[in-house]
Amino acid sequence: MTTAALAVPATRRLGMRSSLRRNRRWALILSYVFLILFAIFFLMPPYYMIVTAFKSDAEMARMATNPWIIADGVTLDQFRILFTQTDFLIYFKNTAIVTACVVVITMVISVLAAFALGRMRFWGSGILATGIFLTYLVPDTLLFIPMFQIVKWLGLLNSYWSMVLVYPTLTVPFCTWIMIGYFQSIPKELDEAALIDGAGHLQMLFKIFIPVALPGIIAATIFAFTVSWAAFVYPMAFLYSSDQQVLTVGTVTTLIRGDVYKWGMLMAGALVAAAPPLVIYAFLMDYYIAGLTAGATKG
Amino acid sequence: MASSRLSRRSVLKTAVLGSAAAITSPYVSGVHAAGSLSLGVWDHWVPGANKALVKLCNEFGEKNKVDVHIDFITSQGEKDKLTAAAEAQAGTGHDIMSHRDWNIRIHQEQLEPLDDVVGGLIKKYGPISPVAEYLAKIKGTWRGVPTTVGSQVKPCCSRIDLYQQHAGIDVREMFPPDEAKWDKAKVDGWTWEAYVAAAQKLYKAGYPVGLPLGQSSDAVDWVGGLFNAYGVVMVDAKDNIRINSDETRQAMEIARKLVEVMPPDVFAWDDAGNNRWLISGKGSGIMNPPSAWAVAKRDNPKVAENCWTHPVPKGPKGRFVGQLPMFYGIWKFSKNKTAAKELLTYISQKEAVAQLVEASVGYDLPSFKTMYDLPTWKNVEPPPGTVYNYPPRGDEQTSITGAPARSEVGAQIYNQAINTVMISKFTQGKEKLDEVIKWAEKELEGTLRA
Amino acid sequence: MCLPLILVIVGLIVYPAFYSIHLSMLNKAQTRFIGLGNFRFLLSRDTFWMVVEQSAIFALSAVFFKAIIGLITAHLINNLPTKGQRKWRGMLLVPWVIPLALSSLAWWWLFDPTLSAFNWVLTGLGLRAIPWLSDPYWARFSVILVNVWYGAPFFLIMYLAALKSVPEQLYEAAAIDGANAWQRFVHITLPMMRNIIAITVLFSLIVTFANFDIVQILTGGGPRNMTHVFATYAFLLGIRSGDLPLGAATSLFMFPILAIAAIFILRGVRKRGREIG
Repeated sequence: MTTAALAVPATRRLGMRSSLRRNRRWALILSYVFLILFAIFFLMPPYYMIVTAFKSDAEMARMATNPWIIADGVTLDQFRILFTQTDFLIYFKNTAIVTACVVVITMVISVLAAFALGRMRFWGSGILATGIFLTYLVPDTLLFIPMFQIVKWLGLLNSYWSMVLVYPTLTVPFCTWIMIGYFQSIPKELDEAALIDGAGHLQMLFKIFIPVALPGIIAATIFAFTVSWAAFVYPMAFLYSSDQQVLTVGTVTTLIRGDVYKWGMLMAGALVAAAPPLVIYAFLMDYYIAGLTAGATKG
Repeated sequence: MASSRLSRRSVLKTAVLGSAAAITSPYVSGVHAAGSLSLGVWDHWVPGANKALVKLCNEFGEKNKVDVHIDFITSQGEKDKLTAAAEAQAGTGHDIMSHRDWNIRIHQEQLEPLDDVVGGLIKKYGPISPVAEYLAKIKGTWRGVPTTVGSQVKPCCSRIDLYQQHAGIDVREMFPPDEAKWDKAKVDGWTWEAYVAAAQKLYKAGYPVGLPLGQSSDAVDWVGGLFNAYGVVMVDAKDNIRINSDETRQAMEIARKLVEVMPPDVFAWDDAGNNRWLISGKGSGIMNPPSAWAVAKRDNPKVAENCWTHPVPKGPKGRFVGQLPMFYGIWKFSKNKTAAKELLTYISQKEAVAQLVEASVGYDLPSFKTMYDLPTWKNVEPPPGTVYNYPPRGDEQTSITGAPARSEVGAQIYNQAINTVMISKFTQGKEKLDEVIKWAEKELEGTLRA
Repeated sequence: MCLPLILVIVGLIVYPAFYSIHLSMLNKAQTRFIGLGNFRFLLSRDTFWMVVEQSAIFALSAVFFKAIIGLITAHLINNLPTKGQRKWRGMLLVPWVIPLALSSLAWWWLFDPTLSAFNWVLTGLGLRAIPWLSDPYWARFSVILVNVWYGAPFFLIMYLAALKSVPEQLYEAAAIDGANAWQRFVHITLPMMRNIIAITVLFSLIVTFANFDIVQILTGGGPRNMTHVFATYAFLLGIRSGDLPLGAATSLFMFPILAIAAIFILRGVRKRGREIG
């Protein structure tokens, strides 16, 4: 098709350009219209969460006012009470610790493994790569009972360190998979050159592959981060003390008391919980996009 | 330091006297285990109610030199059941766990027999709730002690003003806050037919009653009361499926009439749905523990001032209110069973129960009828006497969906909410009654699996 | 170098998975081995088949709409001047970033029968309130809607990246050849993106099929069991009714279904990968 394009006479080309431009204009306006519609769909619940989080309890209880606006004035009470009178900050801290550890563990495991599986052909490497993918199919609702025994065996019951142990089961398979794809997409000549220079495998990994595969690593890191930040089933089953609880479960369990839902604080909590991932995505999205796609397609 | 040494010595004594396991186990761990008790207790939604239990446990701990630790575990998302299942499976965790509804039966193999504790309480306080016995006495052995905390019944909670204005019924006069003053004729007239007639009038006036028809316990419990009032037996004690009966058809007819005059959303209500309905001021009546009233007191005081809790309507076979007791169980793997039993006995005494009931503003209902005279239910207001009738009085009996089937079978009938699904298939799903009954027979057959 | 990976997989996934398989072959009290008894029992129950059907409806339709919405929004954003793209991309990504358990809760509140903010708008406009969660069919719709809302941004990112990798000359050439937008899409964009679409669909299918949070929070499986999916039904049987082996058996049914889907999709991806590379 490229050759066909070159054959088109230059004059016809110019005429096409102006009509193209006009079409583009319309397309652009239409794009904006539809984008706004989609944005409304995507952002309505978050908007509602924000409105609720900044409302006073009294206004919510009155129920007479428009639920989509704040009639009685904006208040920071929900956040203030959330931070000072509940264990929310402890949950936040626990989640941060757990997530940081999980991300590091995940990345070490999956980069090492993916490098081996993606660059070094050895007996069983193909089977192992497929096996990794299949483990992703095992639902966590199935695993939590046997997992409890393992956690007990390690003496980590009701401790957030047990989450550091079990979350990698959610993150490692996918991240390894992404990284295998990424390493495979790096041209073969690169390690041949390195081998000629007399570099060992580990040296090769650190000196050449990790810098080159950085977008993939960042994508996998963000994935691991998102998953362990939002995990719900395991902490629900394994953690019950307030000082060990993580954000998602802690927010839900402390702010819903029987028949009473503290909606204002629940939404405030949800917003604060969403902030760190939001910031990370905002800054690293371009890498995420580049890494995720390159990794996933080649795997 | 001094106190810790003291507790060590007494702990050692308990260990020697109490359990053989502690003697044979290594010195250090024996001492540690005998010196502490951990509880996983249902997290009470009434603000401050947890504190009463903490206080009682601390008192017990100081007296007996036992270090008592409590984790409050919410029932939100069945977290308490998840934790219990995981602990049972792993053979480790708290010494004492509180179990809701059917969980004692589920974990019976891992639970310590508690005949001595419950037997002692029955001796002292008289007969225990038959529902509690059905749920926790398995093959003749008590595996759980009925709690005060969280145990409940679900009588009517009606709006005094709306019932009076639109249905011509004065609920306060019908069920005054003193059992001696009840007028037998009026009380006997409070039947399911009368309830339906009132509901129809209230619907016309724009203030329908709201009884949930989802698959959670509030829904299952009131339908269970209705079915029992008409003598419906789903599965009997000998595994015979008996749902195909005239009694079932009568009860379903009542349900059908009720659905016509209730808000269409009742099928999606969770256990808080009816509360919100009442609190919003749109509803004239629900069947619930006084939690709805208590929240209304905070969020919509005008509604609360007009709430009256009173017995459920009766049917040809009697007046049945749904009861949902909770239980404490001691895991077999607990290393401090003696102290655990002592603690449970301590917090089950009437003096302790009085504190717990007071802290829960009357929500918690002990399983002994002789404790229904506690002052809290008389004193709580507004309006004065509003929850006096919360503990079953007069001819009101307690019941649970699933009984009298074997409890293994009953548990599944209850948890799969076969009775409420029947009603919603019949009404919302517009299926023929015979087909609904056929469906129920098939589902019940599934619950009988060995 | 694979040792840590193998340790994690064997110790924390394979061993527990086999344990669960063992568990699923025990009787309720876990005292007796009953072979495939639990599976046979499930297959004889109408409710279980309903759950199978619903899981399929739920996963397939949710993934379908996620894919469509993702594709459309990715295209729209790609059409914008480069400067504005980041802003729109960021906005549309928000649902993906809020922890699902918490955003489901917000949705649940938006649907709440008594206080629904959606119905407030509808009745305000003189329309009838919608029984979002109380009518079984609306409830299915709502559950799928929330899933689409949550998952579409993931498709958006993946597609956007794929679109960026399609060489610009191809489009220019096609435009000059007189191909309209639709033809360009069918003959250039789709073939170039086929692999990424397949992979994204596969991942989404896995996650959607095993989803627990959304259904559990919104409907708990009701009304009339008509929104139960595998995970919530397994939870009902295993935890609420206390029959862990039966719950484990229910969960296990997911694996072969997903494995078959995965093998087919991946084989397609590999084949195309060889053709291109």
